Amino acid sequence: MKQRRQVIASANLIGQSVIRPDAYDKVTGGRGYPVNVSMPGMLHAKLLRSPYAHAQVLSVDTSEAEKLPGVKAVLTAADVPQIPFSPVYFCPTEAKNLVRDMLIFSDTVRYAGQPVAAVAATSEAIAEWALELIDVDYEELPVVFDPEEAMQEGAVQLHDSAPGNIAKNPSFEFGDVEAGFAEADHIFEGVYQTQRVHTCYMEPRVCVVDCDKTGHFTVNSSMQHIYGLREKLAFALGIPVSRVTVIKPPYIGGGFGGKLDLGYIEPVAALFSERTGRPVRIEQTRYEDFITTARHAIKVYLKTGVKNDGTITAREAKSILDTGAHATHGAEVIMVHGLFGVLFPYRCANKKWEGFTVYTNNMIGGGYRGYGCPQGCFAIESQIDEICEELSLDPIEFRLKNALQKGDPHPFNPMWNLNSYGYEEALTQGAERIGWDQRKPAGSSPGVKKRGIGVGTQGIWVSGCMGFPDIYEHTGAIIKLNVDGTADLTSASVDIGSGQITALCQIAAAELGLDAEKVRMVYADTDTAPFDAPTHASRVTYSSGLAVQAAAAEVKKRVLEIASVLMQTGPDELEVSNGLVHVKDSPDNCMPITEVIKIAESPFILDTEQGPGPSSPPDLKGTIIGTSSLAPPENPSPATALFVKVEVDTETGQVDVLRCVFAHDLGKLINPNAAEGQVEGGMQQGIGYALMENMAFDEETGACLTSDFLDYKMPTAVEMPRSIESIFIETNEPSGPFGAKSMSEQCVTVPAAAIGAAVYNAIGVRIKDLPITPEKILRALGKLD
Amino acid sequence: MVLPELKEFCLPETGSEVISTLDKYGDGSLLVAGGTFIHGLEARGFLSGVEALIDLNQLGLDTIEAVKHGVRVGATTKFAALEQIPGFDTPAFGALRDALSYPPVQIRNQASVGGSIAASCPFFDVPAAFQVLDGSVTVEGGVGSRDLPLEAVYSGLFENSLAADEYIASLLIPEQHARSASAYLKLETNANDLALVGVAVRITVGSALGRKDKIRDARVVLGGGLNQTFVRSPAAESVLDGEVVSDELFEKAAAAIAADIDPISDQRCSAEYRAAIGKVYVRRALQQATQRLK
Amino acid sequence: MKQLITLKVNSEEHEVAVSPDATLLQVLRNELGLLGTKRGCDTSACGCCTVHMDGKAVYSCVTYAMSVQGSEVTTIEGLGSNGKLDPLQDAFIEAGAVQCGFCTCGMIMSAKQLLGDVKNPDEEQIRHAIAGNLCRCTGYTKIVDAIKIAADS
Repeated sequence: MKQRRQVIASANLIGQSVIRPDAYDKVTGGRGYPVNVSMPGMLHAKLLRSPYAHAQVLSVDTSEAEKLPGVKAVLTAADVPQIPFSPVYFCPTEAKNLVRDMLIFSDTVRYAGQPVAAVAATSEAIAEWALELIDVDYEELPVVFDPEEAMQEGAVQLHDSAPGNIAKNPSFEFGDVEAGFAEADHIFEGVYQTQRVHTCYMEPRVCVVDCDKTGHFTVNSSMQHIYGLREKLAFALGIPVSRVTVIKPPYIGGGFGGKLDLGYIEPVAALFSERTGRPVRIEQTRYEDFITTARHAIKVYLKTGVKNDGTITAREAKSILDTGAHATHGAEVIMVHGLFGVLFPYRCANKKWEGFTVYTNNMIGGGYRGYGCPQGCFAIESQIDEICEELSLDPIEFRLKNALQKGDPHPFNPMWNLNSYGYEEALTQGAERIGWDQRKPAGSSPGVKKRGIGVGTQGIWVSGCMGFPDIYEHTGAIIKLNVDGTADLTSASVDIGSGQITALCQIAAAELGLDAEKVRMVYADTDTAPFDAPTHASRVTYSSGLAVQAAAAEVKKRVLEIASVLMQTGPDELEVSNGLVHVKDSPDNCMPITEVIKIAESPFILDTEQGPGPSSPPDLKGTIIGTSSLAPPENPSPATALFVKVEVDTETGQVDVLRCVFAHDLGKLINPNAAEGQVEGGMQQGIGYALMENMAFDEETGACLTSDFLDYKMPTAVEMPRSIESIFIETNEPSGPFGAKSMSEQCVTVPAAAIGAAVYNAIGVRIKDLPITPEKILRALGKLD
Repeated sequence: MVLPELKEFCLPETGSEVISTLDKYGDGSLLVAGGTFIHGLEARGFLSGVEALIDLNQLGLDTIEAVKHGVRVGATTKFAALEQIPGFDTPAFGALRDALSYPPVQIRNQASVGGSIAASCPFFDVPAAFQVLDGSVTVEGGVGSRDLPLEAVYSGLFENSLAADEYIASLLIPEQHARSASAYLKLETNANDLALVGVAVRITVGSALGRKDKIRDARVVLGGGLNQTFVRSPAAESVLDGEVVSDELFEKAAAAIAADIDPISDQRCSAEYRAAIGKVYVRRALQQATQRLK
Repeated sequence: MKQLITLKVNSEEHEVAVSPDATLLQVLRNELGLLGTKRGCDTSACGCCTVHMDGKAVYSCVTYAMSVQGSEVTTIEGLGSNGKLDPLQDAFIEAGAVQCGFCTCGMIMSAKQLLGDVKNPDEEQIRHAIAGNLCRCTGYTKIVDAIKIAADS
């Protein structure tokens, strides 16, 4: 295999755009995707989904389906364990914060598309035909699709355990909100609505599950967390986790948070495999993927009190989250949304927020990059823009006046401080780059096509889940050295596309003093790799990176120990770089790391020209291996400011995003090319969220109207801005690996707010519900009857 | 996509083979040239009971030839080949060039002239251009050959007027006037989209604009969701015919389409919005066509 | 009901038994083990299935295998030769245009036709050439860069 040689010295690896180790494989076809997994004798299964949004399943007759040649088994609710579970991967099954309201198959259907039965057959085509032969007798029940309606007295009740259809109802209060509003010179109130959007990972959800003769399940799946899948699958099946092995795929085709929960396909495939004694594969169609997961729609009622000079005196908000038929991630998203999306941004002593996770007969939601924060950011930042417009305050100054500051206690956990915090730098540097001082008054440019500039920021976010109640945040790694001077890294961290493999190998290589391509991410599964929390919450560089760095440090310690004997000097005098162990400040006094490893791995007695003799003292022998499993010490916050320039066609309402300047405090830039990729990709998702993406459903039946890419629109290369500039600000987070903290979710959190503000600046109308479609703009301009 | 009743995939080599297969399977047959919209139709529930797929690409219907007073384009000709039409680069064929610039390369390589017409889909682009150029089709069937203007092919949304044993064999685009110019504009949300609104126009203006010659033979074809099928706008055309080119005239013609549209509302946008854009686009398309004559 | 047909893929002839409605995508993946061509949607809109038929980019998910007899199919596995990558493949690696990579092969196949048709494509031509290929990870910026690099090389 030919691969471009890295010629970058290991000492300078951090900050280098090291080439992805998996790129060669992917450009030549990509062997590692779970969708490619195939096993001899494999069966194919398909799910039968309810056309009704709310119904009782009275009976399921599979007799005709079973007769179809090639059909090997069918499953209905009667055939599966009835253990209510929450599918969310990153919490323990018994977590108090989760709501265990799902079943593999239930007798009650609560959303259009909910699976009620399944068929396993010798081919996908036969399985699909067989579905048509299953006769289900449904009794339709009254439906409710609007969450505020669902909360009303007399609304149809969807879960016995949730009166008023309220699955979760958290609230927080700080200071004295009444006094705060009394103190205000102006009070602003607004309602901000965000829509349901789909993650649109390009590789479909797919799994192959094989149950062996001992009842042990081996799972291949396109998922973002192997341990979470193991735990939740075992729970849903009613078996101990030791009976499930989940193999980590070499990489998956995108996740974005949409593959962070147990789907129906893994338990169904597992049960089929157990029944038939054959591996079973299930691959979802794009239609199925569309109704499997989505970012939750949240309606935010927001009230802010400000003084004339722009100081925020009080803030009060209420958020209604539509969680659909089951709570799934809605139970957690509401918390993250309320805290990080609404309460924490900006200093203000008097704050109050209440959130509702509400059941409706809509599709279930999932995780999606930003996890509740984009919905909050849109509301908070839009209202700030309104306040500044109304009071003639500069939006940059307003934000700086009220911003959290470096050294402030972290709003989430006062035991931490914002030790590295570049919000101000992000805001000011971004403003300068876009030319903020040339911004014109709203709606003032002449002509049919009007331009505007807007800003959106997020001043508080996470690098992982440390400190969150009930959420796993620990991680481990194993590194061993090979005699050829390479290192094998075992990590349960799943590469979903954002470059987890690259970052972790880069960190390991930098610590070990090896060139980047000498570290290889190797096979891992839940049997052989230590626990890692999921690839989510932008945590891998910071959190898994710390574990990898720690394992590498252990390896390095052993290398120096051995070398110190061989070089007859103290280990504290030695350092590693460029594949060599050398005396600090005296690079010529060195030996290759490969020599060290060879000595360690060679027989104690070696036969030589002079006869047999010891190759080294016995205590230098043994594979050089380092392991770690740790929890990160903190949860440092990145900070972002995004400036966009748009052009609005006032005859059609179409919005073109011309230019973006994305300023981002990320602690330390590990891989510039990869970081830019996160910004650019985030803009695609953010522009889609702001301007065009929307899951739409039939108002009466709840059937999804946007379940293919012909009707669900997301930006192609043509709709993207021709200029996306990244400004990376390095504030050197003390607790992070080489100073790094997170970055990637913020790239999707802020665009809608920035674009909304830019549209206002262009045409003087503000759209407060997403997406900002051309029709909404024309209507707001008064151009539609 | 699975077609459970499918019995055979036919690759006929003569027209009579096609017709006899169509006779055999009746409504259960599905003609395929490019096949690019089949999955779209299936996803919308328009395909069931398909027993035979009939691939027309072996009939030699992929030629473009100049004939008396026009160009005859075989039904299985792919979009990408249309640039070989004599006169393709002239102002008259502007609408066709515009229409071809919208679909992505995969569609241009694979979608066929006949298939795009027979689909009777007003959300397509290229058929709008064919219609604004007065295109007509030759249909082969059990009763023999017959010619129809394009509007006669469209009987409803995704429904064509062909008999069960008929297929489109070719499209005739009549010779265009040297002083004709056409344009096509499409409202889409992203660059790989069906037309929310599609407008094709053609004007023919005397011998030189500067002499205030009057428009004649105006054509305004409305597509996208402005109606259930592609329709012409006689109201807009009669505003244009006999008048001198001007922006005010174009505004007036644009407003006139209201008489000829019955737009749909769906989850993408409302009827009012489509109507509003229809007007804007008729005006802009007329301006674009006029530019080509300069 | 299956029929034996001969397909020419990447300059090799293959005899396969296919059902009448088998798509080229299904045959490539399930019968010929050519896994580089992928399914990302069901309605010929995402481009992950893009291959060349007689040198032209098409969606293999809506191409019937029965229709492909007599044509020359090229997949990602057919690019490059003698252990060397196609300039586009090299460029995608160098430019950082690959993240999850699921769209990558389809992108390369669309770009390959562009570079065959247009010697020095500008940015707009490049963006339009990949308009039929969706990407959710990269925002397309480095994909456009990669295609430019390949064009210049």
